[in-house]
Amino acid sequence: MKISLIINLILHPSAGWEAVKAEALSVKECYARYVIPLALIAPVASYVGTSTVGWRVGAGDVVRLTTDSALKISVLTFFAMLVVVYILARTIHWMARTYDSDKSLQECFSLAAFTAVPLFLVGLAMLYPMPWFVYFLGLPALGYSVALLYTGVPIMMEVNKEQGFLFSSAILALGLVALVGLIVVTVSFWGFGAGPDFRT
Amino acid sequence: MSTTSPDVYNYTVVRQFAIMTVVWGIVGMLVGVLIAAQLVWPALNFDTAWLTFGRLRPLHTNAVIFAFGGSALFATSYYVVQRTCHTRLALGPLAAFTFWGWNLVIVLAAVTLPLGITTTKEYAELEWPIDILIAVVWVSYALVFFATILKRRVKHIYVANWFFGAFIVTVAILHIFNSLAVPVTHAKSYSIYAGVHDAMVQWWYGHNAVGFFLTAGFLGIMYYFIPKQANRPVYSYRLSVVHFWSLIFTYIWAGPHHLHYSVLPDWAQSLGMVFSLVLLAPSWGGMINGIMTLSGAWHKLRTDPILKFLIVSVSFYGMSTFEGPMMSIKTVNALSHFTDWTIGHVHSGALGWVGMVSMGALYYLIPRLYGQKIYSVRLIDLHFWMATVGIVLYITSMWISGIMQGLMWRAVNEDGTLIYSFIETVEAMHPYYLVRFLGGLIYLAGMLVMAYNVYMTVRSGRAEDAPVLASAH
Repeated sequence: MKISLIINLILHPSAGWEAVKAEALSVKECYARYVIPLALIAPVASYVGTSTVGWRVGAGDVVRLTTDSALKISVLTFFAMLVVVYILARTIHWMARTYDSDKSLQECFSLAAFTAVPLFLVGLAMLYPMPWFVYFLGLPALGYSVALLYTGVPIMMEVNKEQGFLFSSAILALGLVALVGLIVVTVSFWGFGAGPDFRT
Repeated sequence: MSTTSPDVYNYTVVRQFAIMTVVWGIVGMLVGVLIAAQLVWPALNFDTAWLTFGRLRPLHTNAVIFAFGGSALFATSYYVVQRTCHTRLALGPLAAFTFWGWNLVIVLAAVTLPLGITTTKEYAELEWPIDILIAVVWVSYALVFFATILKRRVKHIYVANWFFGAFIVTVAILHIFNSLAVPVTHAKSYSIYAGVHDAMVQWWYGHNAVGFFLTAGFLGIMYYFIPKQANRPVYSYRLSVVHFWSLIFTYIWAGPHHLHYSVLPDWAQSLGMVFSLVLLAPSWGGMINGIMTLSGAWHKLRTDPILKFLIVSVSFYGMSTFEGPMMSIKTVNALSHFTDWTIGHVHSGALGWVGMVSMGALYYLIPRLYGQKIYSVRLIDLHFWMATVGIVLYITSMWISGIMQGLMWRAVNEDGTLIYSFIETVEAMHPYYLVRFLGGLIYLAGMLVMAYNVYMTVRSGRAEDAPVLASAH
């Protein structure tokens, strides 16, 4: 993993995307060097945060998860993130031809993975898992990911800016759908009894 | 002054409804922002009965759905049916009556709801004398619309009119059957249905208010204004017809998902859930058609803020029609029901889809109705970004608070007692209610930007009625 690549992307999105493109990472390389290490941040942070630091609701006592429960949820979160990046890459690839782009899954995967960088990084906030704290840090991170998406699509997919705008919007819409889907799957798991196990 | 010559379109009624869309939009959203603020700072009800959340919340929903959304639907349907039928609107005086009648309904709602005069049926709170007035206005609306279709000078009935027509007919049926009641006094009545039947009829009405008022009607808007603004034909006309029939067939069955785990028979709940899931297909048929019609209008997309409104509205339509079926799944509903997740879902549809598509249509209409270019394109762009930011804040905060509520409400100790008291869950919502209030405030401020832009355009424009197009086909 080149840390400079990530820092560059955050500070100078356009130049950063050009650098990502120049790397020409295969799906495997991208998983191994970037997605897996970055996707580890949130689960590790939330394991530590939810099982030791805990959070407080209103004026109530500190709530923590049992280590078993926190471990289970962290592992599931980790794999969910890996899967979602892949699904997003596949949908981008599927839509690419509609938007006059002939890029392979490789570029689409890098686009999906690096768009998510701010969200991966903000996972660190889970060390202090107060819901409002995570939300207020998460929202700007989400906004930054959206901004990265709009700058990244024309560069990675080699479409003109006009097409890029619509393409990005379509990806964003599907991203939102994926997010809702993730919430629903999570809630369904809870419904079937695999819910978080609290201790106060 | 507009002329009454038969060879020009009747834009008078369209203008009236278009302006009132903006006015009622501001009023309705202002009430919404006020009650959102009350949830953050409860003291804002000033211990005054008619300023309390319980009185103002139905006023908010009625104002945004029926006053804002309704005016947008009247304006666009009257415009579209004349233009696509190549004929002046039929029954002119009756059309004028629908405008004054509908606005009288809104004023009566604005008076009676804060006074606490209510049937207590959600989205059908108005009492029986107003309900009768609504029925009369609505039947007049149907007469005007279908009489115009009958005297059309083109053979084909354009698909937007199918959606408008279905919306008008179904809303008439829903309203009349759900509002059947036994009057006790001039301001109090009891539903003729009892118990669970009442609940079932109510949500047959309630969900189809979403399905027909807020979906079919606004799809009519989409099918006229997207092709017009993008200057491209509908991507697939066949798809539009297929998804029209499947949508109206499926929606009508989905109501029971509002009554999961209630005393409604279990099979009826499951039936409602299955139909809600099936509904995803026709809904996405419409979304795909809208987005694909826009695809290819590349050169206009980045510079034309009206198209931005339209594409984002269709994206939110796709997102919320995915979310809806998911929330109708019983396991999910067990957590989401009664929580803010539902509120967020409704607003992604209402602010994102209904609001954005109406704004796009209005920005298209106003210059054409007043023979004057829009005062400021940059202000449209500003409005677009304010609306988008407002929605994002609203939806994300409601997702978090909704899921937290759901989890806290059902968290139990080992002995089966509840871990959290209700007030503890309310306290936990505080930061998200603040964000929701801010999101709503930004969205409302965007409406004010629109009002200024419309005012400046109208002020320098002249009410001009376009000549009727020659008959075709």
